[in-house]
Amino acid sequence: MQWLNLLTSNFRKEYIEMKRYLPNTLALLLTFYIIFLGAFFGIVFIGDPSSFEANVQYSIISVVFWSLTMMTMNFIGFSVITEAMRGTLEQLYMSPMGVWKIMLTRIVGQFALQSVLMVILLFAAMLTSGQWLSLNPVTTIPIILVTMVSMVGVSFMIAGLAIIVKQIQAFLQIFQFVLMGLVFVPLSIAPFLVFAPFVKGVNMVRTVMMENLTLTQLPWTDYGILAANSAIYLVLGLIVFHRCEKIAMQKGLLGQY
Amino acid sequence: MDKIIEVQGINKTFLKRKTKETVTAVKDISFDVHRGEVLGLLGPNGAGKTSTIKMICGLLQPNSGAIYINGLDIRKKRLKALRHISAVLEGNRNLYWRLTVRENLEYFAGNRGLSRKEIAARVDQLIGQFRLKEKENELVNGLSRGMQQKLAIAVALLAETQAILLDEPTLGLDVEISYELREIIKTVAKEEQRTIIISSHDMPVVQELCDRTIIINKGTVVVDEKVENLLKLFETRAYSIKLCSELSPSQQKKLDVSFPLSTYKGSFRQPVVEVNLERSEDIYDLFDIFKAEGTVVESIDRTSIDFEQVFMEIVKGENNYAMA
Repeated sequence: MQWLNLLTSNFRKEYIEMKRYLPNTLALLLTFYIIFLGAFFGIVFIGDPSSFEANVQYSIISVVFWSLTMMTMNFIGFSVITEAMRGTLEQLYMSPMGVWKIMLTRIVGQFALQSVLMVILLFAAMLTSGQWLSLNPVTTIPIILVTMVSMVGVSFMIAGLAIIVKQIQAFLQIFQFVLMGLVFVPLSIAPFLVFAPFVKGVNMVRTVMMENLTLTQLPWTDYGILAANSAIYLVLGLIVFHRCEKIAMQKGLLGQY
Repeated sequence: MDKIIEVQGINKTFLKRKTKETVTAVKDISFDVHRGEVLGLLGPNGAGKTSTIKMICGLLQPNSGAIYINGLDIRKKRLKALRHISAVLEGNRNLYWRLTVRENLEYFAGNRGLSRKEIAARVDQLIGQFRLKEKENELVNGLSRGMQQKLAIAVALLAETQAILLDEPTLGLDVEISYELREIIKTVAKEEQRTIIISSHDMPVVQELCDRTIIINKGTVVVDEKVENLLKLFETRAYSIKLCSELSPSQQKKLDVSFPLSTYKGSFRQPVVEVNLERSEDIYDLFDIFKAEGTVVESIDRTSIDFEQVFMEIVKGENNYAMA
């Protein structure tokens, strides 16, 4: 029950702040839409006409997932930096619930809110390009949810590092291009990326949406790999976060910026 | 009386990043704070107050020693111990400036795991107690510093913890809000029997609110005594001596050398020497200075001393404050 109270409270805070910063949120959405337009017109003017449809569909899904991963994962890093600057980070550490739980509920809240925006972006992209993907929610939503677990893990790693290395902004700027690479490069070209977080999940969703597959039409090994990948990144993320917290408490870094 | 906070021999050192030099912030500090007690934690800047407070809150780990909050070791059972303690560490910076007064209270209550029903009841109660009703839907960003400080303290009181730590609760506040906050703190300590530690440079506030004070200097406890006892001790050694005639320059020089903290106010109407003696018997040395040139003493009065003077005397280490 306390978990639910915590989730409600943090989801509400994220929602209120998103509403108060609505122009920023809309500007960000517009930025991603413009990036999609860039990719779309690139395909129209210089792409291979024989694979036009597949390329456009690929770019729609990739832009949407890139924006979702970026906004969810970078969010937590910036969130920790902002809290430290404001002076509220130590106040969060006074909560008997534990900061990792607060952060987890914030990531979940942020993921839910960003997902709504990404659905808007998805439809805008499909409408612009005239390419309608098979959304297939019964298949895609479970895959996305499991994929999200690995995103949570990476988010915890970023949050932990942000606690002890306050000048992490530069890294976060670069990190968005790393995320872009992970989302856009197909597994068929770089199979080793299966070990990277969320790449397998994005690849599976892309396959489902482009080929209109159902849950049972994907190989079970894919689900196994996805679940293992997500579990490993979640555990790693929590270990890194707790280790960073410990270092911060030993060195007195929680209240410093 | 129940011990709510027990600090046992804590030490904390930091390593300076650039010079790799080890700095001792806190050295073997021990004290207890009891239920319903208001303790003033004082000291000059860099004395080790903030490090001590952060260690009590579990935000900083001591190198050695132990801290218990209501019997729970903050190091080993941090989250359980945090159920019994709350704090205002950075005043108005502890708030979300883009949320309203009510939203801030609701958010922090939710973060302590309270249910919606509990949150609504507690937030309404605090808004009433802190007279924030008119401001409840205003963004914190637009509030005065005093209002923000009030809200920060209200946030600390949300969870009805047994111990509350307040770092500079009245810093930069106007007279009215400072008074209002002092009254609230008194009520919380005396009527609700909650334990409060106040760290402040505002000595009149400490004198008014605190039952007991701990003065930290250079990382160690210099004084741990009841405020009234400290005042009495210093009061008994502070004198105002009215003279029938002016002191000669040589007498004034001797006075400066033997009693450096004394003040001489020469005047045609009534010359006065104000002095705070380290030991009561030092008064004989003072009288020797007067007697040397036949200066007649008209009257001797004990002078009242405020807590700020006591604090300064102790921190400067220019007084023998050892309690009998």
